[in-house]
Parts: sequence; structure tokens; C-alpha cells
Amino acid sequence: MSTQPHILVIDDEAQILRALRTILTAKQFRVTTASRGEEGLALAAAQPPDLIVLDLSLPDIDGVEVCARLREWTQIPIIILSVRDGERDKVNALDKGADDYLTKPFGIEELLARIRVALRHSAQAQGSSKGSVINAGPLMIDLAQHTVTHSGTEIKLTATEFKLLAYLAANAGRVLTHQAILSHVWDPADAEHVEYLRVYMRQLRKKLEDDPNQPKYILNEPGIGYRFISDD
Amino acid sequence: MQTPHNPWKSWARTAFTYLLTILATILTTLVLNALRQGISPTIISLLYLLPVGMAAALWGIGPAALAALLSFLELNYYFITPYYSLTVHQTQDLLGLFVFLGVSILISQLVGRVRSSLVQATAREHDAVRLYELSAHLVGLQDEQAIARAVAGQALIAFQASCVEVVIEQQPDVQSVHIRLNDETSFGELDASRVTGQPNLVPLQSGKGLLGELRVWRGDQLLSPTEERLLQIFASQTVLALERARLARAETRTRVLEESDRFKSSLLSSVSHELRTPLATIKASVTSLRSEEVPWDTEARADLLAAIEEETDHLNQLVGNLLNMARIEAGVLRPQCTPNSLAEIVSSALNRTRQQAQNHKILVDISDDLPLVPVDYVLIEQVLINLISNSVKYSPENSIVQIVARQVDNRSLRVTISNQGPPVPEEHLEHIFDKFFRITAADRVTGAGLGLSICKGIVEAHGGRIWARNMPGGFAFNFTLPLIGSDKLKNLQSGEQA
Repeated sequence: MSTQPHILVIDDEAQILRALRTILTAKQFRVTTASRGEEGLALAAAQPPDLIVLDLSLPDIDGVEVCARLREWTQIPIIILSVRDGERDKVNALDKGADDYLTKPFGIEELLARIRVALRHSAQAQGSSKGSVINAGPLMIDLAQHTVTHSGTEIKLTATEFKLLAYLAANAGRVLTHQAILSHVWDPADAEHVEYLRVYMRQLRKKLEDDPNQPKYILNEPGIGYRFISDD
Repeated sequence: MQTPHNPWKSWARTAFTYLLTILATILTTLVLNALRQGISPTIISLLYLLPVGMAAALWGIGPAALAALLSFLELNYYFITPYYSLTVHQTQDLLGLFVFLGVSILISQLVGRVRSSLVQATAREHDAVRLYELSAHLVGLQDEQAIARAVAGQALIAFQASCVEVVIEQQPDVQSVHIRLNDETSFGELDASRVTGQPNLVPLQSGKGLLGELRVWRGDQLLSPTEERLLQIFASQTVLALERARLARAETRTRVLEESDRFKSSLLSSVSHELRTPLATIKASVTSLRSEEVPWDTEARADLLAAIEEETDHLNQLVGNLLNMARIEAGVLRPQCTPNSLAEIVSSALNRTRQQAQNHKILVDISDDLPLVPVDYVLIEQVLINLISNSVKYSPENSIVQIVARQVDNRSLRVTISNQGPPVPEEHLEHIFDKFFRITAADRVTGAGLGLSICKGIVEAHGGRIWARNMPGGFAFNFTLPLIGSDKLKNLQSGEQA
């Protein structure tokens, strides 16, 4: 990217703000910070950033509320950074429009990777060319041709398996909730049938992964969903 | 409102006894008059003592005195010369008459006194029985409702009342109670006639103030002074029972508080030790890195930084365990069960313990056809993490830790995590899942002694069971998880094939 991406960090802890400002600035991002929800919302409206890092426990309004109010007018990627590690909190925030979720304490490499993924997705959504081929190690998934190969050998997938893999790969790097996957790949009416997903995921992993018990491409997000890891 | 019926009735009864006394003396005179030829006057005067004694024994002092007087007069009139006149000629006779009068009064007094103390003793025995019944019913009662019911029931019997009410006022620490019992034998439904008349009210007065009131209705019949005294005793027994119940509750509460206090202080001491250990490593590493005196080479820097990262993860895991412990203690641990693949959970638990287990060989044996199991992913992952990290901690480096999952039957599956560590003394096996239980000295291996008790809490919240067992050449943790409603999943699995 030519200009420095602009990141807005909304968190009520001064130490976290200080650390993130230092680290992100060093990584060539432009950083704005807010310590209250309303302040963050005002800053986002006045000077729309490229990405928002948001804490859930804010002194004035809840982070989930901030998320919902941002989504009323903008699709700026939002990454939640919170000490709350209950699955319900995470799923709730993702349902309200957050793009990703990271639990404190976190590794900075992980945060940077999530930021890169989110920025790339928003760039794609804004119309830059979206590749139809996704690579992950020896795996090559061609979304247009509906083919999957492992080191050049084609892997036969059922229609549902391919639909599942395609949805995960198209959102590579992002966490997808069980509900989102189920309503996209199956039907919104099936959103509660996590067992479908578990069964198909096991079949899919058996076909793709070298060791289905130590998956490298489709990772578990405990209690929340799955994340596909691609090369870039 | 006090009706005069009662005094009238007792007056009539008294009058009747006097009448009977008069009749008895007349009867005696008639009989003796018929037999007077054969009997000496001395015997006659002795026989006149009969009605006196009888009146004293049956009706008390008053009739006895009357009998004595009448017998004296009748004896004088009919049997002392001159006959049919109250005059006496011989001094000897006069003396005899006065002796007779004296003796009969004495007898009437004595017999009367014995009789009235017998009446009193019977009444006291009656009261004692009633009180015994009351205290027998109050023994062990710990709530106001039950106490009030017992008192009302006993009062109903003791006072032959038509209706009894026990009212206990709301107090801090005491619930308000209003019990009303009616005499079931007279009429079924409560009707106005039952509560006519003034109730006999007794306050339930304790040392700390008024607790309530005891009310007894008995139609128009008043309570005798003895009964009033008994009612007072009923009230004081009730107060004692209420106080006892309150104290017992306070004692239970204190015990619970003490227990939780003990738990908190042992948690606190254990936790502060656990929290400080990783903090010490972090602090030492960071201050070394910042120190400008030592020029650190790349490898040393990497080592220190790795130590910081490991200890941070360790701290985070500890906090997670503490939170779960608090949830288990507070009884708010509610697993969010969804169908999960155990293999998936095991693999993510292994990911999280990779650092700790880097010097051990971990073998996973989970059969492919293991059905999905309805569990809370995050909680069962925590169980596995704790069991794996415990196995690693207590077994020698480069030894094998094995994780095996098998379906036991249609209803449950079993997970076994075994290691090649030393056996645990048999007597400790049952206790290793208790809070803060440790086999080795606290400082040898880190851990707050919470991990295994959390496992127990979580597995039990899922309806499973956890236990530990010594094995040939090692030690194993086992836990079961119920498999409810997994049949349709199995069908789904064999459904679509490429």
C-alpha cells in the first residue's frame, strides 16, 4: 500500500494503548487512540480509519454496542481485542459485525497477521481483483473451476464438501462462526445443527490434511468456529 | 361479655353436694334410730363419724364441716338423754358430745386437705403431661412454620380450645408466620361460633423483644388460673423454641462462612505463591534485558524472551483455572454442550500444551468411528490441558504420555491419559481430585493444586466421572463422558460419500 494504513484503537487501558501505539507505529501504521466508546465513534466518523481495534469492556458503552453502531454506516474492518474469553461473548461480537476476535493476552505477531488479513479483505471488497485461486502449502483451490489439488493431484470432494471449503478459503485468515458457515453452506434454518458441520469437517480434513488430528489448513476456533489458513 | 353461666353451674354443684351431705346425715339418723335398741350410745356416736368422713372424702371441707355440725345436733337430739331435745343433763354426755364435735371437725379437715392436695396433684400431673408433649413436639424443629404448627396443635389439645392462633412477626432473620388451627372434631369448616368470645392472649416475649402472640379461643368457657399459668408456660416454651431455631440457623451460617473463609485463605496463599513465581521470572528476564551493563548475545536474548513468553502463558492458564474454580464453587458452571469431535478437542489441547510437553512424547489414539460427543468444547479442552500438563509435570523427561479415547457402550465414551510417572500411593488416589491436594512437597513442582479439582468439577458437570489409577509402569487418569442422542449423527456420517 502506498499510504500508511490508518488504525483506530479503542481501549480503556492506558498501557495497552501505549504498547499498541508504539508497536503499530513501528510497523508503519498510522495510529489514533480513544479510551471511551463515544469518543471512538466520534473519531471514526470524523476521520474514517482503515481498521478499528476495539476492546469490549469500555467505561461508557459496551464494545458490542460500539460494533453495532459502526456497522450502521460503515464496513471498516473491526478486530475485537478483549479479556472476555467466553464463547458467547465472541460469537455475539462476531454476529454484531466484528471481523475477528483476539483474546488478551495476545501475541503481537498474531494481531499483525489478523490486521493484514482484515485489510486485504476490505481491499478486495472495495473492488480490487479477487483471485479465484487460493494456495495453502501444497493445496490449490480453484474457486472458479471447482477443483482442489494437493501437490498437483486432484482431490475428489462432494458438492457440500467443496461448498464448505470454498466458503472457508474465500475468507482465508478470518474466523467464521459455526452459525455463519451453517447458514451459508447449508441453510439459515440449519444454523443450529453444529453436528452437520463437525461431520463434514472431519471428512474434509481426512481428504486435505496430512494429519487430520493436527490440522494445518483448517484450524479450530474453540467454541466459535473455524479459520482457513492460506499462504498469503 | 363474660357470661355468668359458669359460676352459676359451679354454685349449683356446690349446693347439690351440701344437699347430699344433709341427706347422708338424715339417712344415718334414720338407720341408727331403727337399730337404737341393740347399740350403745358410744357406738352410735362413733357411727355418726361415717357421714362426716364420707363428705370430707367426696366433697371437701365445707360439706364435711356441715356434716360434723348436723351429726353433732342429730346425735344430741335423738340419742342423748333427754331424747328429742337439745338439752343435756349429764356432764359425761356433754363431754362426749364435744369430743365427737372435735373429732369430726378434725377428720373433716384432714380428709379435706388430703383431697384438695390430690386434686392439685392431678392437675399438676395433667399440666406436666401437656408440657412434656409440647416439648417433645418442639424438639429439633428449626423453622418458625413448624414450631408454630406444633404449638398450635398442642394448645388445641391442652386447653380443649375451639381455635388456636400462633402469630410470629417478621423480624430480621425470622420469617413471619400466621398459623390458625381449629378443633377438627367439632365442625369441619371454620364458622363464626368457634371464635366467639374473647380470646386468651399471651405475648411471645423474648429477651430481645416481642416475637408475636399466642391466641386461644374456647367458646364461652374461661380459663382457670391454673390453665392461664399453663398457657404462659406454653408461650415461654414457644419463645425458647424460636430462639433455639434462630441460633441453630445462625450457627449453620457461621459454619458455612468459616468454611468458605478457610477455602478463600488457602486459595489466596496458594494463588499468590503461584502468581508470583512466573512474575518473578518475567521481572528478572525483563530487567536483565533492559540492563545496560551486560551485552546480551542473540541466543541469551532469545532464551530470556522465550522464558517471558512461557511464563506469561502459564499465568494466563492459571487465571483461567481460577475463574473456572470460582464458577464451580459458586455453582454457576453451566456447560454449553454441542456435538463435538473429541479428536478436534484433543488436538487443540495439544496445541496449547506444546511448550510444556516439548520434552515428552505424546501419542494419540482416537478411533475414527468415535461418535460426536455432546460437550462444552472449551471446558473439555481445559480438562485435557490440565490432565496433559499434570501428566507431563509428574513423569520423567522423554517418557511417553498416551491419550486414548474409546466408546464404552452406546451411552458413554472413556478417555484415558496415561504416563510413565511414579505410582501414587493407593490411599491418595481418591484425594488427588480434591482442592489444594498435592502429593509432593509444594515447592517441587508448580501448580496451585487446582487443576485436577477443576477437571472433576467440569467432568461432573457434564454428567461424567473421573478417576485415577496406578498401572504397570505408570499412572493413568480416566474420565467418561455420556453420549446422549448421538445415533442420528452416526447415520449422517455414512450419508454422503465422494
